[in-house]
Amino acid sequence: MTGPRRPSAQTIAVVLALAEQPATWRYGYALCQQLDLKAGSVYPILMRLADRGLLETSWERDLPAGRPPRHLYRLTGPGRVLAEELAAAPSAPAKTARAAGGVGRRPRVEGT
Amino acid sequence: MNRTRRLGRLGGLVAVAVAAAPFAWLWVLQMHDAPDPPTAQVRLDMGIWMAVFGTPWMIAAWLLWRAWWRETGARLSTLDGPGWLLAAAAAILPADRRDWGAAMAAELAQVQDHPARWRFAVGCARTAVFPPRGGRAAVGISGAVAVAATAAAALVTGVALPAGRVFVPVFVGVVGGLAVARSRPLGRAGRGVGVAGLALVGIAGCIGATIWYLAEYPLTRSGHPPSTSATLSPVTAVVLAVVLAGCLWLAATPPRWLAGDRHGRRFGVAGALVMAAGFVLVSRLEQRDTTLDAGIMSYLLLAAPAVVLAGSVAAAVAGRSFRSGLAASAWATVLGALLVILTWLAEAPRWYRQGRGLLLDGDGGGMGANLSDAIWWTLIVLALWALPVGVLGAAAGSARPRRSNAREHAGPVSAP
Repeated sequence: MTGPRRPSAQTIAVVLALAEQPATWRYGYALCQQLDLKAGSVYPILMRLADRGLLETSWERDLPAGRPPRHLYRLTGPGRVLAEELAAAPSAPAKTARAAGGVGRRPRVEGT
Repeated sequence: MNRTRRLGRLGGLVAVAVAAAPFAWLWVLQMHDAPDPPTAQVRLDMGIWMAVFGTPWMIAAWLLWRAWWRETGARLSTLDGPGWLLAAAAAILPADRRDWGAAMAAELAQVQDHPARWRFAVGCARTAVFPPRGGRAAVGISGAVAVAATAAAALVTGVALPAGRVFVPVFVGVVGGLAVARSRPLGRAGRGVGVAGLALVGIAGCIGATIWYLAEYPLTRSGHPPSTSATLSPVTAVVLAVVLAGCLWLAATPPRWLAGDRHGRRFGVAGALVMAAGFVLVSRLEQRDTTLDAGIMSYLLLAAPAVVLAGSVAAAVAGRSFRSGLAASAWATVLGALLVILTWLAEAPRWYRQGRGLLLDGDGGGMGANLSDAIWWTLIVLALWALPVGVLGAAAGSARPRRSNAREHAGPVSAP
């Protein structure tokens, strides 16, 4: 018997990036920039994570007039558990770690 | 005149031109293909017929454009290219993904650099057009099931019902392909049980009647090869299969503007039922009258569009919106087409047994010819004639309360 299929490298990168500051709400475009991924890759991943209850979503409040509210994301409890498992897994590729901001790139702080 | 108004008028003219183009092309084609050089009178007569059928479409195209422009287009005209692309892509997202379209649009508003805006919008559009579905394994399995079902349908039909060897596999294949291509939740069907139920009855009835015709009357003329006398030619078989599969899909996963309107659904269902009941009534009345052999062509050309028109006006008045009338018109056309084909195929044998020929016009011909008549005439009359008339009805019905409201707000009118 085999366990659940390991997520793609890009999914792992998104999960690990969100897990860096699990209490902080993040924006989709900022995740794209941080991970150097296209929106066409990041948004389907965010949708799947939200569908599976691994991601919590909310709309931005207290925004300046004339600007539409942005969608915010952060990991749920099960999402954080998954992030810990992925971070601990030995097969996590180096590229994933780099993309997640672990090497050479400082993650941006958002939600301020 | 500001830019938005100019764009709105220009778009309206383009919509009218696009609607007129097929009729102009048809006129040119008929003049070109005529065996003898057409006289000026023939050209004029044909032009008048094209104008009769084309004018409702041109007016309907203008009304549809105007409604869309007022609701969405004027806002879109203030956007740049990436904004347009993202708004258009987000519009096709299913209801359960609508928030994601708004999320992407809000993010785009934060991106200032023009090339970055394009890159972001293109990526989001790709996500909107191909939203994530269930696991790839599930898609692969459903695809394999669809291919296997199509192959099995082809094999079984080839042996058991040779006359249906195009229709049945194409229907199964199109339904399977749609199911694999777009796995959308069926949550909205709960708001349109009547519509979905009636559509299912119509589709099942059309399939059953078609198979019966093909089994009983595979050829319209005995002693002729199937290539010249098949009851269901390959082209007609493909058209019928695609239409029925499309209706099934529409009933199961209707788009937002069709699913959400209560008045549109109710008046659409009522219109379709009235249309089918009227069809049976006219057929039975003509069967009793031995002096008439006119068939039901006049009913199709005059009464069916009138029913769609009445339904769309009523829905627009009840819902106080153009959209309600439009939804009623669309549902009456779709459901009415299914029910009229079904009742046509059910009534035709009675006519035939009385020696009255084909149900369409009383002309002679093999019983099987009723099948093609039912399909083509119903689709042509309802889609090309009744549907634009329904759009006009939606505009008329939705305009009425607005005028009365304007009068109320204007206060008493003093006599001159």
